Amino acid sequence: MNHKDKIERMISISDLAKKFKVENPKKLSDQEKRDPRLKGKFFHSVKDVSFYCEKGQVLGLLGPNGAGKTTTLRMLSTALKPDTGEILLEGVNVVKDPLLARKKIGYLSGATGLYGKLTGRENITYFAQLHGMRPHAIKQKIDQLANTLDLHSFLDRRCANYSTGMKQRIAIARTVVHDPKVVILDEPTTGLDIMATQTVLNFIRGLKNNGVPVIFSTHHLAEVDELCDRVTVINQGVTEFDDSISAFRALAPQSMHQAFLHTLRQDVQLCG
Amino acid sequence: MWLVFLKEVKELVRDKKTLFFMIALPMIVFPLIIGGVAWFSGKALQEAQTKTLTYSIVGAEFAPEINQQLNDENGFKLISIPDETDFKEWINSGRADFVIVIPDNYGVNPLQSGQINIQVYLNDANLNMVESRLNSIVKDIASRNQQLAFNQLALSESQQVALIEPIVLEKVDIADKRESIGHKIGGFIPYFIFILCLQGAMIPATDLGAGEKERGTLETLLISPIERHKLVLGKFLTIGFAGVVSALVTVASMAIWGILLSRGMAIELVAEFMGSISIIDFILMFLMLVPVVAIFAAVLLSLSIYARTFKEAQGYMTPLVMIVIVPVVLSMLPGVELKGGWAWVPLTNVALAIRELIKGTMDYMQLIAIFGSTAIIAGLLLTFCVYWFNKEKVLFR
Repeated sequence: MNHKDKIERMISISDLAKKFKVENPKKLSDQEKRDPRLKGKFFHSVKDVSFYCEKGQVLGLLGPNGAGKTTTLRMLSTALKPDTGEILLEGVNVVKDPLLARKKIGYLSGATGLYGKLTGRENITYFAQLHGMRPHAIKQKIDQLANTLDLHSFLDRRCANYSTGMKQRIAIARTVVHDPKVVILDEPTTGLDIMATQTVLNFIRGLKNNGVPVIFSTHHLAEVDELCDRVTVINQGVTEFDDSISAFRALAPQSMHQAFLHTLRQDVQLCG
Repeated sequence: MWLVFLKEVKELVRDKKTLFFMIALPMIVFPLIIGGVAWFSGKALQEAQTKTLTYSIVGAEFAPEINQQLNDENGFKLISIPDETDFKEWINSGRADFVIVIPDNYGVNPLQSGQINIQVYLNDANLNMVESRLNSIVKDIASRNQQLAFNQLALSESQQVALIEPIVLEKVDIADKRESIGHKIGGFIPYFIFILCLQGAMIPATDLGAGEKERGTLETLLISPIERHKLVLGKFLTIGFAGVVSALVTVASMAIWGILLSRGMAIELVAEFMGSISIIDFILMFLMLVPVVAIFAAVLLSLSIYARTFKEAQGYMTPLVMIVIVPVVLSMLPGVELKGGWAWVPLTNVALAIRELIKGTMDYMQLIAIFGSTAIIAGLLLTFCVYWFNKEKVLFR
């Protein structure tokens, strides 16, 4: 990928790496101890991850548990600072300017919480205010999001009593309240029922239609099949596959699962 | 920063648990508990005073006077005791509340009999008024006997007085009332206020750091485009605010209940004492609490954000209550005064200053040292807090 390409892309990540200091090696599980990423006092959670996403594209981030997906997305969201590598957002390296990235990125973490003492509207408003939005604009945006995400029935109730699906919808509204240039979702459908899942997927589709690129991690290959333009597979902190959905399908035409396992260089039998 | 502050305060106000601990507990529950204890103990004392006591007497024949008096007095009931009884066993088995043993040298003339030693066997571990009730009987007889002896010796009034107490040490207190009361309660009040500030700040502190982590809102907050130090300041202000408010509420409730409960004599004393402390002194006391609360808030926030869960945060914070005792105890040690080096010891100097202000003997020059050292430490701790909030190791434990 040459430099000119990178600049034209909406978001592009190259050679990202992140290691964590292991405070107490005795506390590690056997599996973690056997992980080749554990080197001395450091656990190299992400070693070499690269991918990119164009305007209006949806990128599915796949990988087994503990592969480094969440760490990668956290770096992308600027919650964590990468050790090496760069993140270009509209051609600007945001590793050096996290505040700029925070304005442009909408990020929904896997373990999302809301302030239970506040209503859904207040939760969204708080983050909109942190983004420096004006009261009038906030109200307008919330009304619009409430229509898209069907929030009206519970928007003004306190979040503590919400169901998981309600919480996730408010969380999504909060994520995109400031009209981010890129939306990053960490396992947005995990733990949701079919209805709520469909709402989330429809919302991603809506973003895509508006030209907003979406990067989301998931374990559901059907979602990838349905929505994604690009697929990136991470295993043990390294990008194993990064290409279009058609290239991914082509790995094993009969099944997406086989294609996924293929990228990990594992056989179905071996796993089964 | 104010955005964060306002939102945190809004959440705080909506939290019934926090409100209960911050307001209901000091305003209603504590006074009720203290009042209840006072009422019950008063009642128990009253009971002990009026309860009929059973007694046995040995050697009654030597002191018919005492024997008679006990018989006549209401509230004493004689139980006859066989000879050679073990008194301990007799009392423990509940047959009598006490046994009184009169020696055979008993006589009405002290000049002949010498000092008379009457033994009273009783179980003194329980609340009882045996001694004071017996004393009131014996005292009358003793002073009558004393008078008898004086008459026999033909002593003048002044000789009698001199004989009873040949040398008297008379204490002349040059401290005015405010100073002497102030010294007595002035050591206790700062401790009380410190603990209240700390307690009041603790609950919101747990929520604002560890609570955000546990609920999963912290990550989202961290990636919102607000500078980290503003975020920390907003949270820090909330915690400090809660600490000051809860301390004020408690002190106010103490004052109100004190005024309501203490009628008559006590209120005059309190009113006079309070009236002698100027408004400026009160304001100074309050102002000095601000950097103290800042120290507490910064420490609490650091601990809270380090902790993974509510539980862990509470575990880290509980020992603080013990630690806060140390500087206050230091301030109560003899020889520790608000000057020189001690004026620079944080918390201790504020404790000393509050005492001086209450006593009315404040050296206002020392305020520089007090505000200086407390503000520097609070500032350093706050800086640490901001640094702490930038550590991935702390935030994503």
